[in-house]
Amino acid sequence: MNSFIDFINNLLPFLYIITFTVYSYDFMSERSFGKANRGLANYKRLFLFSTLLIHLIYLLTRTIAFNHPPITNVFEIFTVMAFSVSFSYFILELVTDIRGTGPFIIIYSIIFQVISSIFIKDLIEVKEVLRNNLLGSHVFTALLGLSGFTISAVYGFLYLTLYKDIKLNKFGLIFNRLPSLEVLEKLSYLSAVIGFILLTIAMTIGVIWLPKAFPDFSYSDPKLISSFLVWLLYGIGILSKSLGKWRGKKVVVLSIIGFVMAIMSTMISNFLAKSFHSFY
Amino acid sequence: MNLIAVCINHHTAPVGVRESFFLQDDEIKNFINDIKGKFLKEGLVISTCNRTEIYGLPVNQNINSQNLQNFLIEYKTKKELGSEFFHHFISQTAVDHLFSVATGIDSLLIGDNQIFKQVKESIEIAEEMHFSGFLMKRIFDAVIRAGKRAITETRISEGAVTVSYAAVQLIEKIFSTLNKKSALVIGAGETGEIAAKHLVERGIGKLSITNRTFEHAEELAEKLKGKIIPFDNLRERLHEFDIIISATSAENLILTKQDIEAAMKKRNYASMVLMDIAIPRDIDPSSAEIDYVFYHDIDSLDIIVEQNLEKRKAEIPKVKAIIDEEVNNFFTWYNSLEAAPTIKILRDHFETVRNEEVEKNINKFSEADREKLDIITKRIMNKLLHQPTVELKKNSEPGIGTDESAMRISIIRELFGIDKK
Repeated sequence: MNSFIDFINNLLPFLYIITFTVYSYDFMSERSFGKANRGLANYKRLFLFSTLLIHLIYLLTRTIAFNHPPITNVFEIFTVMAFSVSFSYFILELVTDIRGTGPFIIIYSIIFQVISSIFIKDLIEVKEVLRNNLLGSHVFTALLGLSGFTISAVYGFLYLTLYKDIKLNKFGLIFNRLPSLEVLEKLSYLSAVIGFILLTIAMTIGVIWLPKAFPDFSYSDPKLISSFLVWLLYGIGILSKSLGKWRGKKVVVLSIIGFVMAIMSTMISNFLAKSFHSFY
Repeated sequence: MNLIAVCINHHTAPVGVRESFFLQDDEIKNFINDIKGKFLKEGLVISTCNRTEIYGLPVNQNINSQNLQNFLIEYKTKKELGSEFFHHFISQTAVDHLFSVATGIDSLLIGDNQIFKQVKESIEIAEEMHFSGFLMKRIFDAVIRAGKRAITETRISEGAVTVSYAAVQLIEKIFSTLNKKSALVIGAGETGEIAAKHLVERGIGKLSITNRTFEHAEELAEKLKGKIIPFDNLRERLHEFDIIISATSAENLILTKQDIEAAMKKRNYASMVLMDIAIPRDIDPSSAEIDYVFYHDIDSLDIIVEQNLEKRKAEIPKVKAIIDEEVNNFFTWYNSLEAAPTIKILRDHFETVRNEEVEKNINKFSEADREKLDIITKRIMNKLLHQPTVELKKNSEPGIGTDESAMRISIIRELFGIDKK
């Protein structure tokens, strides 16, 4: 079974790269823009679906083979992130039928998966606490939340790019292929709201359960503080937007800052700071 | 094939000359009444602001496109006009030209699908006036098919190629749907009207019109079911609008940056699109510096128009391939309408039927009778085919118009289901 896991582990970066290439080709060639070229648009979706299916099989196989969910170290978490980012995009594409933004999101899956595939190890022996189901819920909701923030930041970035292009009369590929500013703003906001809800759940589980599970638990833990700051930032942004006080650029810039903070917080707590949150 | 065509269009004549040849629908009908039987047996008359074109099959060999041109000049202008304003086509070139017109590649604005609609309407008039005979009907079918294919299989009609439509395309890159947006059109002239019409077509939620002359605004508002904003209240009410299209002939600025800034503050900086399609400009261009204000003038909209025109031009070879295919199909059918091959196919068809029936029933006959059966059935077949063969051969004799002969042959082919094999 281990050789099967290794094989898929090596295969996944290539699958994401192929999917990204197909999406990018479609984006650059402007082919799927016309109604006559709907075929290619469906074709690329099939690529993404197949990649996600193989990735899901990989995650399940890993869980069974090593007898724990793949959340025990940062590289396992990265492969789950790669999956959840593309999976969230896949759902978003199905629901909204907005197809031109795929390459900008799938590239994150490539980055996460490449790092994971290079450094991931077959861990059979892990701390008993990492086999706990509540921890699983805590980590999975946190990761899905982070995927939401990733997607929100990507749409935020696209919003800013298109905003600038329209202002400067640059009517190139970005102008022709992206959906309207209003749609990009909505997608960014919606993804941020979903991310915020999931992060809230993750933090609630964490605050209730973690003190019981970890004897060295501390409220001054850097990951805890940075996660709270990220949560607060998104909370302020979402509240301001829903009250109609902030809009457009301000909200998307906030979303991008939130995303950078969330990534930094993961990095710092896992690699640099001494924390009960670090397991690797 | 002796199809002739005489055309006056944007390639051959300036607008002043072209417009003097424009025929309204009723005029087309009267014109058809006048030329039918005298010049043409069947045909088509297309007349738009950019072209007036007459296609048809002459009543006899003495009629040519020059006669048709002279009659048209006499009918419309009664002036002396040189031949340089007209193009003449015969046979396949006439068919090719009609296809180019219908698919929009001959239009002033390449890919203009309005012309396809106009060609279809002209065909309807021809049919209503019983001016579409056997051959023209077949051409019409092929033309409509080619026009539809050009629109669905290529991108010849995609993208805005007029400034007012480009403005709407740009607005749709800012707002996802227009049905919840409110728009104000400043200026009730032709440009303003076209822009307002585009907005209505795209489902704008609320449309308001303002104009220095109130009556003009009232007229346009009534036509498009919009509201009227008094011109003097314009500045105070600017903040109510998500989209402002300005197309007046004013010599000075109507809206300053301060006016826009004040409106944006009242709107809490909700996005506002300003389309200044007036020359000289109506809105201060420095308004573009304000956050969430999307200011565009004719120059920036022209960039979109030029890009789209380039894209359309790149599609012309694909449309030409469709035209070639359809014209070839038409001529393959047309060329099959010759006497000799039809006689052969008809005889082969009868022989096949005879053979099948003989083989099926041969066992019901004694050995001695089988040869007789073969001879008798052949004799019956030959007798049955004698008269049609004689009639078909007459069609290849001189003196019979090729179109009449083609029609006869086509009827025979259809009656015996030859083309369906």
